[in-house]
Amino acid sequence: MINFLPLLPLMVLTGVILTLMMAIAFMRNLALSCGVSVIGLALTLGSIIWVNLNLEPAYVTPLLKVDDFGLLFSGIMVISALFISLLAYSYHKQRGEQQDEFFLLLLLATLGAVTLCLSVHFASFVLGLELLGISIYALISYPNQGQFSLESGLKYLILSGVSSAFILFGAGLLYAVSGTLSFADFAASGIGSTDSSKLFMLIGSAMMLAGIGFKLSLVPFHMWTPDVYEGAPAPVAGFLATISKGAVFAALMRFFLAADGYQYESIMTGLYWIAGLSMILGNILALLQSSIKRLLAYSSIAQFGYLMVAFIAVSELAGKHLAIEGAVFFLIAYFITTIGAFGVVTIMSDKAEDHDLDNLDAYEGLFWQRPLLAAFMSIMLLSLAGIPLTAGFIGKFYIVASGVESQLWYLLAVVVIGSGIGLFYYLRVIYAMTKKGLASSEVSIPVTSSWTMAAVTLLLLILGVYPAPVIEWVSNMALQLI
Amino acid sequence: MSAALTIPMEHGLLLAAILFSIGLLGVMVRRNIIFILMSLEIMLNACAMVFIIAGAHWGQPDGQIMFMLILSVAAAEVAVGLGLLLQVFRRFDSLDIDKANRMRG
Repeated sequence: MINFLPLLPLMVLTGVILTLMMAIAFMRNLALSCGVSVIGLALTLGSIIWVNLNLEPAYVTPLLKVDDFGLLFSGIMVISALFISLLAYSYHKQRGEQQDEFFLLLLLATLGAVTLCLSVHFASFVLGLELLGISIYALISYPNQGQFSLESGLKYLILSGVSSAFILFGAGLLYAVSGTLSFADFAASGIGSTDSSKLFMLIGSAMMLAGIGFKLSLVPFHMWTPDVYEGAPAPVAGFLATISKGAVFAALMRFFLAADGYQYESIMTGLYWIAGLSMILGNILALLQSSIKRLLAYSSIAQFGYLMVAFIAVSELAGKHLAIEGAVFFLIAYFITTIGAFGVVTIMSDKAEDHDLDNLDAYEGLFWQRPLLAAFMSIMLLSLAGIPLTAGFIGKFYIVASGVESQLWYLLAVVVIGSGIGLFYYLRVIYAMTKKGLASSEVSIPVTSSWTMAAVTLLLLILGVYPAPVIEWVSNMALQLI
Repeated sequence: MSAALTIPMEHGLLLAAILFSIGLLGVMVRRNIIFILMSLEIMLNACAMVFIIAGAHWGQPDGQIMFMLILSVAAAEVAVGLGLLLQVFRRFDSLDIDKANRMRG
């Protein structure tokens, strides 16, 4: 008899989705839909904490493993989805009728992300990945009047479909040589003992890396990112940059740790180059952007480059613990910061009808017109740049520390150069906001959005000033993994 | 060992790889959205075939289960794709992907 109790978070989230679906069928009301999803996400978070405190880590069927790692990542996903739903409320309130399904799709995508975080088997990995992906296609092209949303949705659908096919084909080849679909059994299956199986292993893992590189928008698989972020509604762009990438990263990390992907020289060389190129190209291309959404897209490419440094550092035995801890902490900081930054774009675009206000011109003089909003944005950008007193600083400190521990000197040099370039374009936005512009206007921030932004900013500063409790928590989780 | 296993696994994988390449080529060179979606289907079917072949090689049912999973996933993906396609046709009066590509980069 399998004990399904550890799957409580997934069951609660599924229950909320069904409830919301019924609620929409009977009554269309945006406040109700948003309320149901927010309460549902809070309940899910509660169940995650309950499972973490009361139950031992356990496999639930060979497909899912509910352990500290999975629960920590699931918790991050659910909290982020909570913030994004709150920010999306006033955004959608301005945009006509029939906006309720947005929350339904958001919850479905979150369910996919949580499944990815818990998966230890290719079947559940594919299921989670596609649940996440298919909901996102619909989310991107959700706005009816959207200028670019339809084409960016279509673009994402085609490219994401291709990348899923790459991941599946790669997984199939790995299955062909190893005879197992479970992550943990790969290491024991003795892949690569003969020449032909070595070749299949190499092709298979290269194809999987290409597909995952696409999902994480790492160079050279990053082309779609700026276009899709520009066309997607601002809250969805925030979702794409955080939850969609973070969940895939969690699954990738679990796969590498369980299957010991670090022992293969060629894969690590590939990752090394991917990380370096992402940091360089992401930062340089961000310099050229005049749209905040595109700028954030390129900056997210660079940020994931930094994250990959810690990911690679896990390969060295000496720095393993520190690197896992660093990667997870960096990801938490990145999540909070990115949601905050896209949150400001969301609030700015509340009144715009058919497109988001993401041109840099729209932000000129923001400090004089809407000082609170400009202050939020500045804090987020400073955190992305890694300025002390913000969570981003601690995150970047971790990246550098884990790189030093594992002696990745070339990558560290690129991190330093990239951060220097990064500082320039983040400060450029802040500079634009301080320009003397029009006098103060009477636009106020909607109540839900302002409280959410305040909470996000507070979290960011707490993590930056007093990160000890979170670090301890993450560190314990990392100890369990090795 | 059943009779089906007399075909070496490599041959089956080669066939799947050829199918996959045809699909990938189709996605890259076709301009009509319907054909792009069809090529995507071919790619996903090639993946499903790899799982079938590998499952047969190891004598496990896992490969066929993955096949069914991929089949349903591909169906869901195409359902959303066709929905978007209808919208594109309504707005641009064409199914040409280049007409719907107005963003730079």
